[in-house]
Amino acid sequence: MHSYYSFVTGPLAWIAFIVFICGSIWRFNSLWQLTKKKDSAVFEYMDRKFALRSIAHWLIPFGSRSMQLNPAMTVATFLFHICLFITPIFVFGHVMLWKENFNISWFALPNMAADVMTFIVIGSCIFFLWRRIKLPHVKYLTTPLDFIILMIVAAPFMTGFWAYHQFPGFVSMTIIHIVSGEIMLMAIPFTKLFHMFLFPFTRGYIGSEFGGVRMAKDW
Amino acid sequence: MSESKTVNDNKKTESKKIEDQGIQKGIEQLTPERIESVIRQVINDETGARLKVYVDTCLHCGLCSKGCHFFLSLKDPKFSPAAKVKQTLWEIMRKKGKVSPEFIKEAALIAYTQCNMCKRCAMYCPFGLDVAYVMSVMRRICYKLGVVPLYIQDTAHSHSVAMNQMWVKDDEWIDTLMWQEEEAQDAMENLRIPLDKEGADIFYSVIGPEPKFRAQLIFQAAVIMNAAKENWTMPSMPGWDNSDMCMFTGDYEMMERLKRLHFESALNLRAKRIVMGECGHAFRSVYDVGNRALGWRMPPIEVVHSIEYFNELFEQKKIKIRKKFERPVTLHDPCNIVRGRGLHEMARNIVNATCANFIEMTPNREHNYCCSAGGGVINCGPPFKNARVESGKEKAKQLFAAKAKGAEVVIAPCHNCHGGLEDIIHHYGVEMELKFFGDIIYEILELPE
Amino acid sequence: MNRFINSVMNMNISGITLTAIILTLTFAITTHADDCFTVNGETIDANSNTRPFVCFQHDAHNEKAGLESCDRCHHSYDDQGKLIEGESSEDKSCSECHAGNVGSQKSFDSNRLNIDLAAKYHKLCRDCHITEKKGPVVCGECHKR
Repeated sequence: MHSYYSFVTGPLAWIAFIVFICGSIWRFNSLWQLTKKKDSAVFEYMDRKFALRSIAHWLIPFGSRSMQLNPAMTVATFLFHICLFITPIFVFGHVMLWKENFNISWFALPNMAADVMTFIVIGSCIFFLWRRIKLPHVKYLTTPLDFIILMIVAAPFMTGFWAYHQFPGFVSMTIIHIVSGEIMLMAIPFTKLFHMFLFPFTRGYIGSEFGGVRMAKDW
Repeated sequence: MSESKTVNDNKKTESKKIEDQGIQKGIEQLTPERIESVIRQVINDETGARLKVYVDTCLHCGLCSKGCHFFLSLKDPKFSPAAKVKQTLWEIMRKKGKVSPEFIKEAALIAYTQCNMCKRCAMYCPFGLDVAYVMSVMRRICYKLGVVPLYIQDTAHSHSVAMNQMWVKDDEWIDTLMWQEEEAQDAMENLRIPLDKEGADIFYSVIGPEPKFRAQLIFQAAVIMNAAKENWTMPSMPGWDNSDMCMFTGDYEMMERLKRLHFESALNLRAKRIVMGECGHAFRSVYDVGNRALGWRMPPIEVVHSIEYFNELFEQKKIKIRKKFERPVTLHDPCNIVRGRGLHEMARNIVNATCANFIEMTPNREHNYCCSAGGGVINCGPPFKNARVESGKEKAKQLFAAKAKGAEVVIAPCHNCHGGLEDIIHHYGVEMELKFFGDIIYEILELPE
Repeated sequence: MNRFINSVMNMNISGITLTAIILTLTFAITTHADDCFTVNGETIDANSNTRPFVCFQHDAHNEKAGLESCDRCHHSYDDQGKLIEGESSEDKSCSECHAGNVGSQKSFDSNRLNIDLAAKYHKLCRDCHITEKKGPVVCGECHKR
């Protein structure tokens, strides 16, 4: 137990952060270089004003017709993404770890809030899973990897909830929780989870095209 | 409503396997090696980060489905935009080009006949992934493999031989213009269609089908130009056709030749700007795709679509109308000039200036449903007509709804839309009349003297 | 032991939240009950983040761990921050060194203060447990519900 614990909180944690940061920089840079080499026109049409206009419309809940036509998905995605980011950063246990290891600290969420937010993340994952299984047009697009990614994202929240509430086997579950979080971090640069970094660019580009060339809205 | 019932009750014609001679003959000549090398060439040399990002970023969420009239009409998951990527480039990139001729056949059918490249889905994808672009890459691969539907390939051949879409010979073109000039002189004495006039304010260009089947549109344009006392001209030589099926087959080399000739025709005559007839795809080729292929960020000479031009005529009070068009109208927003150029408000200005009774169809403006004919789909010809009309079911519902509110006339300021809507109206028994803005303006125009 | 439980129960009933006591981390020992050491609540306020009370059984721990000298935990450092071997700091509360002027900071930023001391406490226990490969390391092993 102790050696597992020291490994997952020591070397593996460092590996996870390094893979996440360096992997993301590498992937981003390779796409950037490829764009410069092969799609340099993209830079010609990128327009800050129209890019931001488009991004803003798509970051406001129900800001696009697409979101209005899919209200359940809109609510689920927004809550999911907000909780997905806020919870791990501001849950008290994690703030404590930052304090212990790097002597930095910030606002921490009340326990109850962290629980509710964890439920939201898990609930949204179940909703996404339901869509993938039940909606024919989503099912058709779904690959095994999509389920794995959903698992990768849901796992840290399920195990974290388990460990916090000290359900049976919580000691091992805490270790699994740490590992699952590290897996998620490491998966970001190499899977579709990388969409978090690409969103401003894909959205910004189509926004620039629609705004600057097509003179139409894209939401 | 009995009308909308017709739409719902309309039996789904069994989607028989469509055989297209162009595609069939094309795949018969394919070998796996050839497929792989062509795919590698296109993907490595002609595409880059955009394609990669579009294919890799798609989260398979299915939200694009509601953006596609194919999916909305057919309710088949295979027709959602992302599904079309799944069946084409997604698989190709996963297998690194190692796909069978049979796969290419299916991919060609999808890319050429099941996507109108209307870009509506880009407005429904949270990431703004451009499926139309991915489909254009697929078409490019198919074109390079020689797997192109017969009918559209024929128009591309015409482009390369005659530099127009409809095999119009050089003398036939001039003959048609003179014939229309004569006809129009009955309406307006001293009317001219000035050919090759240098330094004109307006270089008026049309698409190949206008002299071929819809010559009255040239006649109407001539009347409107004359009534507005424009200093205008049309070219007597090739370069008059602004249409571009090569853009849709994936023959970009030919597209570049066509666009260059068109731009040069106008520039050689030192025209101030190009005004185009009511065509959507031609506008896309001149304003968006062709100029980029030639290395122009924006067109080298100002390009004005008829809607913008007509709007200007009314704003500057260059023409007068006798009375407003009485019958209730609705307006179809064509993709290439609305999502492609934001002319929807100008179109409404013209409607308000010319028509007494305007009924919006919903959704409208950027969100209007496609006519199912654009992107070269109608040009793939009779083998695909039934499938195309089937995919216009949602459009038919939208038209019925506008009709229920009283609309009798559909204004569709695009040739492709006209073709597509005509088939939809006929097939579903919508019984609405189709008109161009030119038709309406000509009908109510107050002729000078 | 019973006395301790009773006292805790009483406190709970009397409206002082249990957690207020539980995560009081100045380590100034106020109750030297039979087994559990607890710490006084003067330096911090309870907040919604407090975790369950940690029962640290001082004597049992030391016996089990075979600890002879006090300075393994009750450490002392000199001015240069160097550990002074063999010198114990049992007579001081942790906050005297680790949280500066506790009393006056309390009302200003209590959450921060908690965190500083709690972090020190956590590290003191866990680092040793990891080195020795003995004893609890994950949160719930000490903060038992």
